[in-house]
Amino acid sequence: MDWNATEPVSSDCVDGRNESDEEKTDHQAVNITLCGSAPLLWRAADIRKCREEFGVVGNLVGSLARQPRQNVRLGRPLEILQEETRLLVETGKATALRHQELSTENKESRLKAVELYKARLEQSYEEQRALALEEKKAVLQRVMDEKQNDHEGNDGAEQAVRERLECLEKSFLFPRSALAVQLCTARAGFSHSPEEHAFLTADWPMPRDKRAETRFRVYKDLRRKGFYLTAAGKFGGDYLVYPGDPLRFHAHFIALCLPMEETLPVYDLLVIARLGSNVKKTVLLCSPWETSDDEKETEGKVVYSSLQWSGIV
Amino acid sequence: MATNAIQSEPVRIDFCDELLSSSKLFQSRSRSHKIPVRGQKEFLPNDSERQKARLQKILDEHWTTVTEERVERVGNLVNAEWIPEKKIVTLQSRAGKFWQTMGFSDGGKQCLYPEEALYLMECGNVQVFYQDLPLSIQEGYESFLSAETVTYLQYQVFGHLKRLGYVVNRYNNRLCNKKSTASSEVSTGRHTGENKTNVQYSSLNYPGQIYRQIFQGKIPRSEPDSDGAPGRHWWTNITSKPQPDLFQPSVRCWDFSCIIFPDLGSHGADSACLPPPDPSLLPGALQVQECHMAHWCRNIDLQQEHSSKQTHSQNGRLCNINDDRMVHQCKNWDEYLKLVEERKSQQHNNRPTHLWKKEVLPLAYSRKCSSNRFYFILYDFCLLPPRLPDPEQWRIDFNLYQPDPEFKKSNPGKPSTRLCVCSFDGVVPDLRALQQLSFQSGDVPMTFAVVDHGDISFYSFKDFKLPTDVY
Repeated sequence: MDWNATEPVSSDCVDGRNESDEEKTDHQAVNITLCGSAPLLWRAADIRKCREEFGVVGNLVGSLARQPRQNVRLGRPLEILQEETRLLVETGKATALRHQELSTENKESRLKAVELYKARLEQSYEEQRALALEEKKAVLQRVMDEKQNDHEGNDGAEQAVRERLECLEKSFLFPRSALAVQLCTARAGFSHSPEEHAFLTADWPMPRDKRAETRFRVYKDLRRKGFYLTAAGKFGGDYLVYPGDPLRFHAHFIALCLPMEETLPVYDLLVIARLGSNVKKTVLLCSPWETSDDEKETEGKVVYSSLQWSGIV
Repeated sequence: MATNAIQSEPVRIDFCDELLSSSKLFQSRSRSHKIPVRGQKEFLPNDSERQKARLQKILDEHWTTVTEERVERVGNLVNAEWIPEKKIVTLQSRAGKFWQTMGFSDGGKQCLYPEEALYLMECGNVQVFYQDLPLSIQEGYESFLSAETVTYLQYQVFGHLKRLGYVVNRYNNRLCNKKSTASSEVSTGRHTGENKTNVQYSSLNYPGQIYRQIFQGKIPRSEPDSDGAPGRHWWTNITSKPQPDLFQPSVRCWDFSCIIFPDLGSHGADSACLPPPDPSLLPGALQVQECHMAHWCRNIDLQQEHSSKQTHSQNGRLCNINDDRMVHQCKNWDEYLKLVEERKSQQHNNRPTHLWKKEVLPLAYSRKCSSNRFYFILYDFCLLPPRLPDPEQWRIDFNLYQPDPEFKKSNPGKPSTRLCVCSFDGVVPDLRALQQLSFQSGDVPMTFAVVDHGDISFYSFKDFKLPTDVY
């Protein structure tokens, strides 16, 4: 089975998809799952790969594991843009999976999984008990050593510690409630068989209207130029454009995607220009060239106009 | 086929990566809970070593916090089970502190709504099982969040506010009709005089329904009329008209024919004095004299009343509805609708039967075409969407309460605000929707939570009345 066949989008895929992309179809494709219409990344490795290799930044939307009750820093999952998803899927770097029903396996394999889970839990208990015992021993040992060094003459105390250490092995109690368990973030990914994988590969519910198309082409072009992009709803634009990783750099531009033939009321123009100057960013009006089927060379070209708020002195 | 064989391999490795070993689990009890700070951002990348090193440091910290898995002691976890049929989560061990503000009891069982369970999973307080296997957070998102429960967008707002410490409840407790759970109270005082109505929101889907229920006389009075005084008067000297049998109210229903309000506006009210109210309706020893209306009448702006009367008489067809005897005989809204339906069918009977009694019908009949003809024809054929906006599109999603150690689920009090969740991709609510929601919300302010790819902004619209000088 060929990977491309499992991706409904790539078959009728549009512009800018060149041969090298097709060859690069990665075997370790990133898994994107759809929650509602939101594309989410769950595995830390996927998130890292997307940022480091494909410049996909996205937005973390879950509670942070180490401090869940705050909004300053969030944790997995990572929500990415529709355009990012489309580009990743079209270039074969990711597979979009429809979300799975909970009990797709049959009863037997379910029972097996439950058994496996219980066995793992039991094993983990034993191992953690051993580790806890070791730790306790080490503490007592240290106390004993200190006592030996400090008071050469005080045999009684040292003897007491030694006795405790000896009977620790028998009396040591590691309560069940102290067992540490993991609450998995990503689906405990029992790997799908290829058939299952193909089945789950999402039928892409991508809006393919004019606006989505314009946004996508602008996204692709800006990414190709090496910018990092995030959503810019709160700035009234389509994308925030960063010169480097958004973790370290301020955004320079607010990109507004505007089809070439569309007219923008001057009010809207003033509003966005004013806003841009207030947040010290430049507003970019991005309009992709109209393409007809035979004009391959102009395809993907985007015209950028920047707005500067200036007064005459 | 070869590619697939390779494909399944790495997935397995990833799976092992994210599952922690016993020693890792054991070590994690002493792990840091600090959030690393990120300094000031820079403006331009300049490829300097210093910049690269700082970026790397921050990225490393970022990946540490993002990769970290939740590890909890069994003793600190509440176990629960996901019931997909009911779309709820039932607790299997004693609830924790969260029970003060979340969850409900159903048939003696402690339950959580899916959004509550998911939030508590994310906080590391609850472990939810399904068929004896624990669910991951991902599975929680994928199974719990749906249009029937709470959508992904709504959950984002819910989680955001919960993380800030607010108490957040569903506005419309659809899944449970138990009286034990928090029932919202709405005051419809604005529309029904001074009467306050308790409405179980579980039984209402949208505001339109509330009116309908009033018309059908389904809403119980807030004060039980134990005295059995079905038609008490508000003003003493106005005798109640003998009621026609048709108007005999059912036991628990307002009878507007007996509750008579003084008409201050019309000039026909010749008496300059308003008689004192029925003393039995007044508290204690309160003495109320006759009220001289002349002073008040001067302050009433009668202009609107005049003009509306004029317009009414101009297109008399509209205001005649209330003079229609048939309409008068309708006891409630349903009967009125039935009447309208009957009349319509009578009109249909006037049509030539050879055209209208067969399977194939004409596209439109002439009267319908007279106004707006194209729209209606197209609308009839479902080529155009109905003009009225979907009342379900805008609805209140959550009640929000300030964090309060004294909070009681059974008596949550008045919410500090109500929330409607929408998306940046969607449309902006029109004035009609805004008004409808704020009416539905009563005297509690409405806040719109707008979600943009994980960023949440809150907006609210404030009514503002220009002050006018009454005297």
